[in-house]
Order: sequence, then C-alpha cells, then structure tokens
Amino acid sequence: MKLELRGITKRFGSLTANSNVSLVVNPGEIHCLLGENGAGKSTLMNILYGLITPDEGQILIDDEVVTIADPKDAVNHGIGMVHQHFMLIPVFSVADNVILGSEPVKPWPVIDYKAATTRLLELAKEYGFEIDDPNATVENLPIGAQQRVEILKALSHDASVLILDEPTAVLTPQETDAFMVILRSLKASGKSIIFITHKLREVLALADVITVMRLGEVVGVTTPAQTDERGLATMMVGRTVNFVVEKVPATPGDVVLEVRDLYVEDARGLTSVKNVSFEVRAGEILAVAGVQGNGQTELVEALTGMRHPSSGSIMLNDVNLAGQSVRHFLNAGVGHVPEDRQRYGLIPSLSISDNLVLDQLDDARFLRRFGRNLKAIKANGAKLRESFDIRSQSEEAPVGALSGGNQQKVVMARELSRELKILICSQPTRGLDVGSIEFMHRQIVDIRDSGVAVIIVSSELDEVVALGDRVAVLYDGEIQAIVPPTTSREEFGLLMAGAGAAKVTL
Amino acid sequence: MSTASREIVTLNNLRVVSRTRSLAYGITLMGMGLLEIVWYGSTDSKLHTVIQFGYNTATVWPVVSSIWKFILVFAGVGIIAAVVRVRAFPRLARIFATVRGTRTIALLIGAYLLIWPVLLWLGINHGGQLRTMSVDVAYTGYLFGCASIIVGGLTAWKRFDRSSSGILYGGLLVFLLGFLIWVARGSLDLQLTSILASAVAASTFLMFGSLSGTLCERSGVVNIAIEGQFMAGALSSIVFASAFHGTGISMTFALLFAGLFGAFFGWILAVMALRYQANQIIVGVVIVAFCTAMTQFLTTQVLDIHQNLDGSYGLPVWAIPGLSHIPLIGPILFDQNVLVFIGFAAVIIANFALFRTRWGLRVRSVGEKPIASETVGINVVHVRYGAVILGGFIAGVGGAGFTLGPGSPFTFGMTAGYGYIALAIMIFGRWRPYGALMASLLFGFTIALSANLNLYLTQLVIPQQFITALPYLITIAVVSGLVGRIRPPAADGVPFQRH
Repeated sequence: MKLELRGITKRFGSLTANSNVSLVVNPGEIHCLLGENGAGKSTLMNILYGLITPDEGQILIDDEVVTIADPKDAVNHGIGMVHQHFMLIPVFSVADNVILGSEPVKPWPVIDYKAATTRLLELAKEYGFEIDDPNATVENLPIGAQQRVEILKALSHDASVLILDEPTAVLTPQETDAFMVILRSLKASGKSIIFITHKLREVLALADVITVMRLGEVVGVTTPAQTDERGLATMMVGRTVNFVVEKVPATPGDVVLEVRDLYVEDARGLTSVKNVSFEVRAGEILAVAGVQGNGQTELVEALTGMRHPSSGSIMLNDVNLAGQSVRHFLNAGVGHVPEDRQRYGLIPSLSISDNLVLDQLDDARFLRRFGRNLKAIKANGAKLRESFDIRSQSEEAPVGALSGGNQQKVVMARELSRELKILICSQPTRGLDVGSIEFMHRQIVDIRDSGVAVIIVSSELDEVVALGDRVAVLYDGEIQAIVPPTTSREEFGLLMAGAGAAKVTL
Repeated sequence: MSTASREIVTLNNLRVVSRTRSLAYGITLMGMGLLEIVWYGSTDSKLHTVIQFGYNTATVWPVVSSIWKFILVFAGVGIIAAVVRVRAFPRLARIFATVRGTRTIALLIGAYLLIWPVLLWLGINHGGQLRTMSVDVAYTGYLFGCASIIVGGLTAWKRFDRSSSGILYGGLLVFLLGFLIWVARGSLDLQLTSILASAVAASTFLMFGSLSGTLCERSGVVNIAIEGQFMAGALSSIVFASAFHGTGISMTFALLFAGLFGAFFGWILAVMALRYQANQIIVGVVIVAFCTAMTQFLTTQVLDIHQNLDGSYGLPVWAIPGLSHIPLIGPILFDQNVLVFIGFAAVIIANFALFRTRWGLRVRSVGEKPIASETVGINVVHVRYGAVILGGFIAGVGGAGFTLGPGSPFTFGMTAGYGYIALAIMIFGRWRPYGALMASLLFGFTIALSANLNLYLTQLVIPQQFITALPYLITIAVVSGLVGRIRPPAADGVPFQRH
C-alpha cells in the first residue's frame, strides 16, 4: 500500500505544529521520521491516525484521497499505530487487548475466545513473535513483550502501514536489537513502516528513506547511503552540532556522599531500590544508567528526602540524612533537578522570580518584616535570568509559558544559586532541544569543576557516557556494577539487562 | 530470565503484605474467640436458646434416614476437599478458572451438605414436624470460642496467603451467630430462618444499587446519584401500582416504570458528565438533592391529598416449586418476592455480560483506559452513555424494592442513605457483580440484625438508635479497612476528552 501525505498543516492557536508537510511511504519500505522533540512528528502521525484533524492538506492511499476522521477510519484503511505510551489496558489479558474493538463473537454478543486465541497465535507465528500465554495480564509482562502485543494488535487489524512512535525509548540495547529483527521481518512480509525517532544510530541501521523534520516542516529527505550521523544531526537541528561534551578529567576530592545498604519502597509498597551502596566524591560526576523504571525514581527520591528509605544510610559529610525531611536535605546542601520538572521542579503559574526562590523563602535576603522582600526576589530573578540566559519577556512571566529548555534552566538556576555540596540531576535533558542540552551539560560539568559532587540519572546511554566520570548501572533496583564510561555499549547493554543475563530473551 | 526474577520479587512483596494481613486476621479471630468464651460462656449454664428454623413454607421437612445423613456428610466433605485441593482435578480447576463464582457456589453447596445432617443429628427435625433446636448458651460460647481460637491461631501461624479474608469473614459470622444465641437466651425463640430471610429481602435494593454502581464505574463514571434514582424508583413505582391497581396491568410494569425514571436520572448524569464534562460527584449529589426535594414536594402536595395514589401494594411472593422446600436455605432464598429473583437474575446476567460479551469488554476498557479504546475505534462516550443509563435503570428498579418489596406506601426519606451504602457495597464487592451480591447479602444481614435486635434487646442498656446505626458503622469500617487493598477501574470518575 502506498501512503502519501500532501501539504498537511496543523495549527494549535499561534503555534504551527505542522506546516505544509508532505511525505510518501512506498510499500515494503521502512520510512524513518526524524526530528527533535517538538518538531511535529507526533502531531503528523496523530493526524494520519485520525486522532487530530488537520487544518489543511490531504491524505492519499494508493493515489486516492481519503478522509481519516477518527482512528476507526485509519484502522479501516489499513493503518496501524504503536504508540510511544502503549495503548494497552494494563489489567486486561493479552488476548483481550488484541481483540478489543474487533472482537469475534459467536453467538452474538458472546466473545468467541477460542477463535480469538487461535488467530492470535497464528499471527504471532506468522511474524515470528513469541507469545507464551494469551491469557497473561499485560501489566505483568516486561516492556518488550508489551510492545510486541501492541504490534500484534495493529497487525490483527490487517494493518499494511505501521506507525511506530519512538518504539525504542523504553528498550534496552539488546531488546532494541531484537526489535529491529522484528521490523525487518515485517518489512519482508510487505508491510510499510513509519518509524519515528530521534536516535540517529537506529535510523541509519534501519531506514530505507529518512525524512527529517524541524519546527513543523520537512527540511530534507535522504537515505542512509547519502548521509551519516553528523549530516542528519545538522539537518535536524539546523546547525552543526557538537556531540562531545568537552571536559577535563575529574579531580576527585573527599567523599561527600556515602550511601550504604539502601532499601527503598515505592508507592505500592514494593521494594524498588535494593541493597544500593556507593559513594560520590567532590568534583566528580557519578552517572546512574539503566532502563526506565528500574528504581531510578525511588533512588533519587530517597537521596533528596522526598521518600524515606526503609533501611540503609545516606551519609552526607558524615551526617546521616536517611529519614530526615526534605528541609534537612536542602539545608545540608543537596541540590535537586527533578525528573518531572513540571510537577516537582516548578509551579507553572508562578513567575520566574518566584520559582527561583521557592526553596529559599526563609532566607533572610528574601524576607522583609512579615512577608517576602519582593524587591530582592525580583532583583534575584533578573540577575539569574541574565546569567542563565532564560529566554522570556521578563522575569515576571509565568514559568508555564516558557519552553522546556528554559523551564529546565530556571530549575537549574535555582538549585545552583544555593551553596551546594552535591547536585542530583534526574533526566536533566529529557525533552530538551539540542541547544538546551548543550547548555545543561556545560552547566553540569562546570559545577563539577567547581568542586561539587554530582549525580546524574539518565536513561539515555549517550548522555551517561558523555557526562559520567563513573557510571553505575541500575537494574531491578540493584546496582549491577560501577564502571568507567569507556565501557563498551554491548557491556552496558548486558548490565542494563541484569549482569547475570548473558542472553536476553525479548 | 530478567522478567522471571522481577516477577518473583513482586510476588514476594505481595506475599509479605498478605502474610502480615493474615497475621492480623488470625490475632483478631483469636481475640473474638476469647471474647466468646468469656462473654457467652459465662452465661448461666441452665439457660438455653430455642432456634427456630421454620418460616412461612408450610410443608413438613422430609425425614432423612441415617444412611442418607452419612451420604450427605460425605458428599459435603468431598466437595469441600475437591475445591480446596483443586489442583488434583484439572477439569474442575478449568471450570473454576473460566466461570467466575463457581468456586464460591461449590464451597457453599459443600458446606450446606455438611451442616444440614449435623443439625439433623443435633435433633432439629423430630420426625419431620418440629423445626426448632434447643442449644445451651454457655456451651455454644465455649464451642465457638475454642473453634475461633484454633482457626485464628492457624491463620496467624501458617499465614495463609489468599484465604485469610474468607476465614475472617467466616469467623465473624460464627461470632454473630453466637451473639444472636446469647441475645435470645432464656425465654425468647431465635427466629433464625426468619432473620436470614428478611436479610435477603432487605438486601434487594442494595443488590440493585451496587450493581448499578458497578456498571457505571466499570465504564468510568461515578454514579453517586443512586440514592436519587432509588427515590425516583420508589415513588414512581408505588404511584403506578396504585393508579393501575385493579385494571389488570401487571406489577411488572410498575417495575419497568420505576426503571425508566431511574434511567432518566442516569441519562441526566450522563449528559452532564459526558457531554458537558461536569464534575461527576457534584452532578450526582445535585441529582440526589433534586430528587429529595422533588419527593418531598410530591409527598406533601400530591400523595397526602390523593392518598389513593400511595397505596400498599406488594409484589407477588413466589415460592419456587421444589427449591423452596430445601431445608434451611429454601425458605431463605427461594420463598421471596419477585424482585429478589429479578435481582439474582440481574446479577448473573450482568456478570456474564461484563466478563464474557463484547459489550462488557468495551465497557471495562473505557473504564480502564478510554484513550486506548478510542484508538481501536470504540466510541467512548457512547459506551459510557449506555452503561450509565442502564445503571440508572437498574437503580430505579431497585428503588421499587423500598415500596413494592415490603408492600408499603411511599414515605419521605425512606431510602435512608442506602444509595450511598450501595456504593460502599460496590467497593466491598470489588467492582464485580457477584461480589456486589455477596456484599449486599452481608449488609442485608446487618440491616435485618439491627431490626431484630431491637426485639431482643428491649431490656438491654444499648440504646435502640445505636443498633439502628449498625449498618452504617459497618459501612465505615468495611470501606476504611479496604482502602489501598483493592483497585478501582483506572479511569473511574475521570472525564474523557477527545483532542
């Protein structure tokens, strides 16, 4: 099936998410859609899948104009989508998830589970998937298996074009390899695939055709043979990108933070950080690597006082902070750039100046008689806005109106304006554009060089390797090993899948 | 292998949680046992309580020969053993796994086959005539107390993973039975069958209400307006029945009429919640307030003046041939008014519809993750409309249980907050129709109990109002005890908005 998008334009208020985008996907082709966050890839695909209605433009299937008003139309036209956040119902079984929306019934309206299971297993066999138990509950499956269920679901609707939205973001390197094998077999069976990503390595390994998007527009169409990582990155960002974070070797000083035998429970009462011990010295960066959801969130929450560990010690300059309040952690000199900046890092409706003093409101500088010293707060805001290059109308603009990169700068500026012993950054560059990423990395390296201990937690292996002086790999709540950043990708992959697992079954 | 290890860790964690729970349950049971020994056992040993097993079925129960008693006991033990050790019977295990509720039903049948001959041995029948049994209050206390302590001790020691809640509820029932025997000691007869039958009758509207709540919340809409739908159903059904009395129009139409009124308020909730995306709780509460005001207005301005519109018409009582003659449970379950049977049927149908049909799968999917349903072409809003209106219909029919059930005229405020208790029952029943049925029966029992205790406790210091408040207190205890342990539908009460 040949799919064509012609002159698609979509505006959200003053923002133009897609501007005159055209795209042709030929049968049996893996078409990579490359672009930074906010380049309009997801909007375009949601339009194709009928979740968003375009303002202008046409969708053509086999050279005929079609209207796709809702996902049902898309499914009927043979378009299947695997969403970045899986559209699976966690408490349903694999079979229920796959048949939902096109349930076989016999006699009406009773679901014919026997037919459903047979069809499911047939499909799985046809494309070489492994489905152990169609009655397994989806939430109990590992992420890789959930993804296969999502793909099977699309295939069971007879999709001939599959849209995959950042499918590898949640996978370990080994799972990614296995995933690529699946993609190639799908391609071999004549399916067209639209593969959305911002990972250049995967694009070059997989794509037949690459379309690069920037700021809602198509900036180029190319093939892996015609380009390389640098070329693609330049197209994607619009200028030459410096991939390497420039930093001098670390000069570690005294131990600042010493964590011993830390156990932390998550909100459901499950132990998600187990027996974690490490130390961080002044002037070095400890990077924590690992696939999302392996205890990083709980570890960071414990290290910043947001969650009390169930046992173990957190010694900051020989004072045990475990079980103390967040206030104690702040006073002891812990800086925190949280994973979810919108939720924990900022109050979107407050101004930049106010957000910049959120954790320093009892500082004498910002107090005046019975209230806040508004003048000092404003001056502080203006000063930091200047030095951190926070792009906004003024320091009184609400933080919620800023772009992600500028929001992150506000968080970083606030944390660095205190006297720090250790800075803990969780996913410091998630969802940021390349310019902001460079800026953040620069800041992190600078603060290290000024003699502060730094922990960064990131699920982007590239970032971990670029920044870390030592890398701790977290799997299932345990530190598998602490290794130098020069370790090979394969070895990282094995560690991220649990060190003992020599062979990873996807 | 990575998966496997993670799952084991999760399982271990869950096991730890449930083991702490069974420890707590076991200790509670032992405490209750101790209480029984000290409290009931200290009663004057000459005191007896006569338990009445008879009710309004006039037929004499069959005389059962000793051989048959043995056979019944063996059958009962066999069934219970098969359920407990189900792994030895693959076919049975498959049935239990696929058809929900069969396990519980099998256990109940087994228990019945066991209890009935034992009661016969204890002298309940007396040649097919007498249906009473005289028990010694003090000995009952010792017996129940010791049993409770032993079972509680086992639970605390062995830390059963799954069955501990069942054991606790069993222990509670035994404790209550002991309490009843103690309360009725001396001169009064304990009308056990009668109490249980009235418990089933009292649970009718709870059954409908909680079923309504289950349907709505499974689709992701909180129906807090059940109380209002009860009122609408109660009033409209009695007015219909009074107006058409003697014209040959069946009472069934009164039920239908009540259902339509309930469905109307369900529809209003659906429009507000789904089309205008108003806060579901507030809309629900407003509907209840409206119905309260409206019923008050209609009672004082219409029914008080035209009293022929507010008559006393009851639904026909059916004694199901055959089934109603089963000793003990026959009069309790199968000699009731029509609405009770409709309730049983509704629960069974709803359970099948929710878990086996296309419609049910879609309802559950929009209640869990509507965006996922939408991406496979399901119209979330339509499915929710259907579920909420149907839920309103069911609650409306249940409302008829207040008036047509006992055959009493409508009085203002007769729903007495049971619409809210129905929501608690829905939670207690874990958003499942069978669970709602079981929990309704339990709550119906407390309602019947509080009504009957008033009879026995006249000379006691406990104020009557406290006894009347018992069902509400149990509601609070049950709901707070369950917090965090059961999982509601993920999208429950969350408005759905397309892009």
